[in-house]
Amino acid sequence: MPKVVSVHSYRGGTGKSNFTANLATTVAALGHRVGVVDTDVPSPGIHNLFCLEPEQMGKTLNNYLWGESPIEDTAYDVSSNVGLNSGGTLYLVPSSVKADDIARILNNGYDVKLMNDGFRSLVKALKLDYLFIDTHPGLSKETFLSIAISHVLILILRPDKQDYQGTAVTIDVARQLNVRKMLLAINKAHSKLNLEALKQKVEETYSETVAGVFPLSEDIVQLASEGVFCVKYPEHPVSQEFRRVALQITEG
Amino acid sequence: MSDLGNLQSLTSSIAAVTSPFRNYLNDLHEKYRSLNEGKVADYIPELALAKPEWFGICVVTQDGHVFEVGDCDQLFTIQSISKAFVFGLALEDHGREYVNSKVSVEPTGEAFNSIVLDEVTNRPYNPMVNAGAIATTDLIKGKNGTERLKRLLEMFERYTGRVHDINVPVFLSEKATGYRNRAMAYLMLNFGMVSHNIDETLDLYFQQCSIVVNAKDLAMMAATLANGGVNPVTKKRAIDERYVQDVISVMLTCGMYDASGEWAYRVGLPAKSGVGGGITAIAPGKLGIGTFSPLLDAKGNSVRGIKVCEDLSREFGLHLFNVTTPERKLHDWIAGGDGINDW
Ligand SMILES: Nc1ncnc2c1ncn2[C@@H]1O[C@H](COP(=O)(O)OP(=O)(O)OP(=O)(O)O)[C@@H](O)[C@H]1O
Ligand SMILES: [Mg+2]
Repeated sequence: MPKVVSVHSYRGGTGKSNFTANLATTVAALGHRVGVVDTDVPSPGIHNLFCLEPEQMGKTLNNYLWGESPIEDTAYDVSSNVGLNSGGTLYLVPSSVKADDIARILNNGYDVKLMNDGFRSLVKALKLDYLFIDTHPGLSKETFLSIAISHVLILILRPDKQDYQGTAVTIDVARQLNVRKMLLAINKAHSKLNLEALKQKVEETYSETVAGVFPLSEDIVQLASEGVFCVKYPEHPVSQEFRRVALQITEG
Repeated sequence: MSDLGNLQSLTSSIAAVTSPFRNYLNDLHEKYRSLNEGKVADYIPELALAKPEWFGICVVTQDGHVFEVGDCDQLFTIQSISKAFVFGLALEDHGREYVNSKVSVEPTGEAFNSIVLDEVTNRPYNPMVNAGAIATTDLIKGKNGTERLKRLLEMFERYTGRVHDINVPVFLSEKATGYRNRAMAYLMLNFGMVSHNIDETLDLYFQQCSIVVNAKDLAMMAATLANGGVNPVTKKRAIDERYVQDVISVMLTCGMYDASGEWAYRVGLPAKSGVGGGITAIAPGKLGIGTFSPLLDAKGNSVRGIKVCEDLSREFGLHLFNVTTPERKLHDWIAGGDGINDW
């Protein structure tokens, strides 16, 4: 049975897109068919990590939401873009970066039913084993939907008071939505922190599993969202941590 | 409190969208959308305007959850489906014994428009064939035609929670071409089965066929009967609870024209169809189904609607007399959760 994995955080800039791209690629590298949907319609960005330029995009998620094309026609095979050559396949459904397209969605909204049905059609049409959903931060109808539809919800948080509080709110909502499995991931932990102690403290606070802890990394900053870190530096500790998280998704 | 109320209403609306049951209906819609058998009714020009691709499925549960897929807001004329509900109103107006003295409840192997009355009692066979429906329409109380129509429309409003109107061109067309129904009415007048008020009654009969509804209305009407006569969303009573079983049982034996026997055997859901393309089907105590697709089979029933009801009945064990454990448990599929594979 295919699995839907949503990556979300209450606040912006926690590293959702980076995390989604790396985790999806790591899972694909295990030999799976993987799709990624950029549901961050107001501020899309994950296409950069997959080296898909706006000029190369024909149809986007926006066209699907406007009823202009089937969702599978808005998916791009980005396997070779990211340098995946181990048998898996990686697709991206990007959101439009054209200001006018974004404005049109913001003005008119869209029916969240369409998003639900689109995810399902995409999984069927592309015969996906995993579907990753990159989200817009905060709570909205759309994020409620991605939480409710997912088999695994991954909440990203930084060691920061604002993130802690927001995560508590999000966990409440996720529980109310009967989410099947929830995992936390701590990102951007600075070098002076004891990562193991941090993990334990977060697990105790929320009574949820922490799937991985990722340090604040100069190397990630340096890559500057141009490509998928795990493929460029497969032996880096960050990449190894992504592999551990990936196994919790594929084996859990 | 209001905080929690808002959160709850948002989460439950999202839960309805992602519910495995809605996903199941979506797949069902996909499965039969390409089924292009049957043809659109064309005995009057207005009906021939229906688009063959129109297709909606709506299910309303007894506790008021609404699941819609496809063209559930598309309006069409109710046609024969109204017959079941008008029978209910006639029962409320006059009681079981009197109504039964004017119309029998015996299924007929004849087509819906046959001009046959019971040879011994001169009653039309049942309230679901045209002759029987003209007889029950004759029983609807009211000072004049306008008031009687108003009472009918208000009854449908209680069932659906929505104000209804008639499609005037359809009404006028039905009236202009309804010689056969006129003949039947006069035959019944001859036997004293209907009053002399024949023109007004025939108008009301053609008007009730021309009431405009959508698939969601049909599901709500069925769910209201499934819920003992109380609309599960508005909580308003639509019909005296004593007569719910009368309406439902006649739907089971006579609701699908001359395919009713096979329907009761294979699908086992009391239902009524109309040549506008609608079907309303009841799983008592559980839910109501409304389907709309104007492509009709030779007996006048919606081809896709039949398929949808067959699948739902089989896979969720909705057949009235089913005693086996169904493949899918309705409650679990509506609530969602771990055990369900809806992919
Ligand atoms: N562990 C890390 N160490 C250093 N920089 C990181 C790390 N993770 C992510 N970043 C950087 O942080 C920035 C924000 O990351 P990203 O775009 O993935 O966040 P986001 O949560 O998707 O943001 P938004 O809420 O705007 O969608 C990027 O420049 C990214 O390269
Ligand atoms: Mg992002």
